[in-house]
Amino acid sequence: MKEKNKSDLRVGVFICRCGGNISDNVDIEMVKNSISAECIVEFENLCSINGKKAIREEIISNKLDRIVIASCSPISHEKIFQNYVNPLNPYLMDMANLREQCSWVHNKDEASSKAISLINASIEKVKKSHSVSPIVCQTPESVAIIGGGISGISAALSIAKGGIKAYLIEKESTIGGNMVKIGKVFSPVKIAEECGLCLLNPLINDVAWNENIEILTNSEVISGSRQSGTFNLVLKQKPTYIDGKKCIACGKCNELCPVNVLDEFNEGLSYRKAIYKPFSQSFPDSYTIDIENCIKCGSCENVCKMGAINFDDEEEIKALNVGSVILATGHEIFNPSLRPEYGYDRYEDVISQNELARIMGVNGPTKGELLTLSSKKRPKRVVMIQCVGSRDEKPDGHKYCSKVCCMVALKNANLIKHKYPETDVILCYTDMRTPGMYEKYYKHCQNNGVRLIRGRPGEIIKNSEDNLVVKVEDTLTKEFIEIETDMVVLSLAMEPSKGTVEIAKLLDVGLTEDLFIKEAHPKIKPVTTDISGAYVCGTAQGPKDITESIMQANAASSKVFELMHNGIELEPFVAEIDKDLCTNCGECIDSCKHKSILTIDNEIVIDPMSCSGCGECLRACKESAISIQGNISEKIYATIDGILKDKKEDERRIIVFLDQIGYTAADNIGINRLSYPSSINIIKVHSINRVSPDHIIHGLKNGADGVFIGEYPGDLMYEKVEKKINKLKDYIKEQGVNPERIQFSKVYIPYFTGLAKSFIEFDKKIESLEEPFFKKGSSKNKEC
Amino acid sequence: MKTKHAHLNEEKLFIEENIVNGKNIEESINDEANEFIPFTNNKGKKIPDNGILLFKSCLISTEYPGVESSTKFVFDKLGIEYIIDHDQSCCTGLGHYSDVFDQYSTTLIAARNFDIALKDKHPNIATMCATCYAINKKASNILNNDDEIRNKINKVFTDCGLKRKYEKGSIDSKNNIFHVAEIIYNKKNEIKEYIDKKLKNQLSNLKIATHHACHYCKVHYNDTIAGVTNPNILDELVESCGYKTIGWFNEKRTTCGAGFRQRFVNKELSLSVTEEKLLSLYEEDVDILIHMCPNCHMQFDRYQPYISKNKNKPLKTMHLNIVQFIAILMGADIESVVGIQTHTVKIKFLEKSD
Repeated sequence: MKEKNKSDLRVGVFICRCGGNISDNVDIEMVKNSISAECIVEFENLCSINGKKAIREEIISNKLDRIVIASCSPISHEKIFQNYVNPLNPYLMDMANLREQCSWVHNKDEASSKAISLINASIEKVKKSHSVSPIVCQTPESVAIIGGGISGISAALSIAKGGIKAYLIEKESTIGGNMVKIGKVFSPVKIAEECGLCLLNPLINDVAWNENIEILTNSEVISGSRQSGTFNLVLKQKPTYIDGKKCIACGKCNELCPVNVLDEFNEGLSYRKAIYKPFSQSFPDSYTIDIENCIKCGSCENVCKMGAINFDDEEEIKALNVGSVILATGHEIFNPSLRPEYGYDRYEDVISQNELARIMGVNGPTKGELLTLSSKKRPKRVVMIQCVGSRDEKPDGHKYCSKVCCMVALKNANLIKHKYPETDVILCYTDMRTPGMYEKYYKHCQNNGVRLIRGRPGEIIKNSEDNLVVKVEDTLTKEFIEIETDMVVLSLAMEPSKGTVEIAKLLDVGLTEDLFIKEAHPKIKPVTTDISGAYVCGTAQGPKDITESIMQANAASSKVFELMHNGIELEPFVAEIDKDLCTNCGECIDSCKHKSILTIDNEIVIDPMSCSGCGECLRACKESAISIQGNISEKIYATIDGILKDKKEDERRIIVFLDQIGYTAADNIGINRLSYPSSINIIKVHSINRVSPDHIIHGLKNGADGVFIGEYPGDLMYEKVEKKINKLKDYIKEQGVNPERIQFSKVYIPYFTGLAKSFIEFDKKIESLEEPFFKKGSSKNKEC
Repeated sequence: MKTKHAHLNEEKLFIEENIVNGKNIEESINDEANEFIPFTNNKGKKIPDNGILLFKSCLISTEYPGVESSTKFVFDKLGIEYIIDHDQSCCTGLGHYSDVFDQYSTTLIAARNFDIALKDKHPNIATMCATCYAINKKASNILNNDDEIRNKINKVFTDCGLKRKYEKGSIDSKNNIFHVAEIIYNKKNEIKEYIDKKLKNQLSNLKIATHHACHYCKVHYNDTIAGVTNPNILDELVESCGYKTIGWFNEKRTTCGAGFRQRFVNKELSLSVTEEKLLSLYEEDVDILIHMCPNCHMQFDRYQPYISKNKNKPLKTMHLNIVQFIAILMGADIESVVGIQTHTVKIKFLEKSD
């Protein structure tokens, strides 16, 4: 459709009285007489169904091209009025905020003239509007879940039961993760320990039987990219040398295999064969060959009746296109060698909690009997050391609390006490952290005789009798004590797994300073990552227990349902790239803080899902190949002109640029009936970054007395904008204009009182400023 | 840019502790660049073999001058280019840690010494003492990051009519300030060539342990090489001479106990720490303890007979600086170069070999 000339456009203005909210303070008659438009209609409640009818009638009968709704804030009713202007395109309507930013914040004398300038600004702006359509993204209805531990399993089950295809990708030969090894789990409410595998096994079975889940073990993601809601992953599947379809897991091969290898399942405390099943309930239920240790003697091949063994098995590369990714890559444990003072490498009887769990496990190396590793005797005393590698500011340590270790140590201490009441168990702790119901379990353990010493041991040595001695200061009694013991158990910190860091790099997902996956927001978006469509759950995101991991897994799966249900409708004001002009220089990729620009098949592509429309790439692109639809820059110029229209000689007008967050804060000033000077005129922009130095200078040259830019410090563009404004201040200073006329401020939604105060102070400051000032049209508008 | 400058004033408050939010200043400044490097690493550390100002140490000059002559001897053998400038003054370390000199005076003295190094065109400072090492590194961090202090110090120079000035960034804590042990570590594969084989065999029955100076390992630990919590730079140097140390031993990381003024005002506490470590060495039957700091060296060597008498234990461990140890093996004269006559605990294995 050919756009009409600006002067030919027929604009209709609809003024809402809002049941007195507006009309009590704004002289509607006077406003109507002061503005010019094709039709000006006054209505009691414009948002009612009757309002809809009235707007529609006027549009049709007056052949209106553009609509201005002068009513409440667009934050509350924009979607409603976008719908009410049908048959016009929803983006050809603009709202003048006569309520929150006029009648509620100014007195009767000021409100009417302010209303006029607000409506004028909207009229000018709407004349520059283009009709655009929202972008709809449909994503494939499938999910790749990376990591087959308890988090990945829980997420897969939830997603599959909701009718979406789930691929469960696990790099080991079995799913199950860390939970299969920890033996007992406990519930703080019941104050009882339960068998962990008995809880996990039914879930593993559910996963195995669910038709919507495809389990890909021995598999790793080796590359990944995303485009408009589709993740293109490439997987590498290691050969197992056994045909899983033929293997019946009879175990005859295992009996004959002559090679003994340290068994990872038992933390290397026992041996397994080179052809093995990780543990009896492992899934897939077939054997696998550890080719690094296999001597290829062929015994297994000879004994296998099913002919399942195939030494020619090869690595497979698979492509996977999915609509979403859930990162459930789990954790690893702090390397105890990094704390040489505890002698993990020197003394056999210094072990980790995980090793203790295996020793105590009935399917472990000692069949559940507590024995020291050196002498295979029952220890008379066990000392546990908390916070090894966590809450630790020394080099290589982690500053965070590992969160679960207090509970793990208490559980294992209690298990020992329960089975061997004569064994003395001492916990050396930094602080006991047993929040919520866990506190009850803590008391329960104390009652069972577990002893606690507050102090972080400095060193473990062997004395002349060859016994371990733990040297610790009891920080409650301030005494140095040396505890002779038969066994020391280190509670090692949970730390991010290598897999977590690798997958984050592959998919460009942000990490925290501790290298866990960073959530989009730690409070309100706990499973969302900074890549849209990618979610995180479990210990990949930070240390946590099984319950919390499962909760996060379910939260991540519900996010997937949100994404897949109807596709996503996006605001159309996002960057687009003209492939004919693009030279693939890549400058825009570096400039984009939102990681929305990527290269696919040697072509630069912008992902509308994650683009914020900040416009930074427009500046980076030397070829001007990138544009944002909606004519935003021109609309800003027009709004400025509208605000400054009919400015009187002795009047002060200040332009304020705010984005969604700042605008909401400004609305809050009105909602709370605070006030600020009527010289303040707020322009809502998509992203503060879209306000260019030229816009600001245009405002100053055409009568604005000051320009105020407010930005939420959490915005990714905050620092860039601040830098830009500082540069601009230097520039106008060179031009002989007082740089104080421009102000950059932080805004926060709840701190609206602060914003009101800033407005008042800025207005006062501007009032106090004397010339020099830009003379209208005096110097040439220079790029800066 | 923004965050760095905004934080500088706050950083100043913490500079005394040299810790900003749990990170040292340098680390926090490098944060942006090293976003994805999680743990301490020294990969970026380049150790020079020329343009070196050998930084004189008060304690070495007065207590164990053989350490300085041994350093020169070893540097010459290994072809390390260095100078000594007698205009250089004390780093103030002993006084600073005894609350005699404040951080400002210490930084000013450092600025003067840095200017000397720069004017000599030998900007790589190599210290024989761990205290000089940590003091100079901290001072250069302050001078490079705190404009106010730097300007104030430069004004003192001008006011006194001195032609001295410290330019921001001209001495970098990480890339210009080293311990002598590091300079030699950089050439450790060449040490073997210069070792007197005859001597080497005579010493082969000795049990050797190492004592790593706290102010080398524990202060600017992001720049420490060959292990921080498990320090091994001296062990590796001994190894490069063809010997094995006993490696880890009880109390390996324990301080010497000197604690600067502690030795004088809190003698009992100070010596109780020294004693603990000496007894641990006694249990291990150690013949030689290798040092890298004259303060530790002094604490052990001078007080060992006293502790031995008090505890009624025949403590026999001999104390040698790493450069003395290497110089001996390279055939240096044990009196005119190694200076063993200044040691309290006699270096007996050499008498035997005479």
